[in-house]
Amino acid sequence: MSPSEREARAFELVGYMLTSARNLLDETPAYGPFRLIDAASRVIGVLADANEASPRLSVLRERIDEGKYVVMSDSAAFRTFLDELVLLLVESMEVEPHA
Amino acid sequence: MELWDAIRGRRSVRAYTNAPVGRETLDRLIEAALWAPTGGNAQTWRFIVVTEPARLARLRVVSPGLLGDPPAVIAVCADLHEARRLGSTLGETFLAPTDAAMAAENVLLAAWAEGLGTCVIASFHRAAAKRLLELHNGVEPLLLVSVGHPAVVPEPPIRRRSNVVFYEVQG
Repeated sequence: MSPSEREARAFELVGYMLTSARNLLDETPAYGPFRLIDAASRVIGVLADANEASPRLSVLRERIDEGKYVVMSDSAAFRTFLDELVLLLVESMEVEPHA
Repeated sequence: MELWDAIRGRRSVRAYTNAPVGRETLDRLIEAALWAPTGGNAQTWRFIVVTEPARLARLRVVSPGLLGDPPAVIAVCADLHEARRLGSTLGETFLAPTDAAMAAENVLLAAWAEGLGTCVIASFHRAAAKRLLELHNGVEPLLLVSVGHPAVVPEPPIRRRSNVVFYEVQG
């Protein structure tokens, strides 16, 4: 990824987060955590495309993208999903970043 | 495609392939929109079809709800000055947005019948989108509709009838 491509990806991500910050004042409260985990996925995506994502980050991204849209259909399941993500994060602490 | 198949089969698609959507197809979707009901036949809706990658990218920056990198977006807008002139307060505050929603639904069903996926998006910054789309004074973006070839089609959601549908009175 060239520096200009990296800057463009970062710019889009910053825009996503800034616009989310404003819009979430008026939106469905559960969209707040959704935007946060989606932003986390996007950060890992940018790192991956720059060949800088570790395996443990890639696993987290994969898990986020598998389950994030449950926010649209089942609030209890979304809560459980977020808990599982945090526990996966804890498990990931035991993994060497570049193992 | 049968109408009922489109009504029941349509899903909100948030993952698209890279395949483009042709101008003729987009024109048919707009044709479907133009045949939606419109209060007093006011037709104060305005449709901006965006396919240029650079403009889509800019729109995506200010549209957190625009997910899946679609090759086309239809901005469903309303001329609220015209809506007020034609329909007074009701026209501006109720008929124009309702018309836009009904037009959007026609787009969704027509797209599904074409084998395309769509998603209605309200999570975008209106003032920013208005500037990027160079909308005229009084014209406001109300909805974005992403359009593309689905990469993933979600499972059907649960739709409730209980405590939703009533005959004669709610009681």
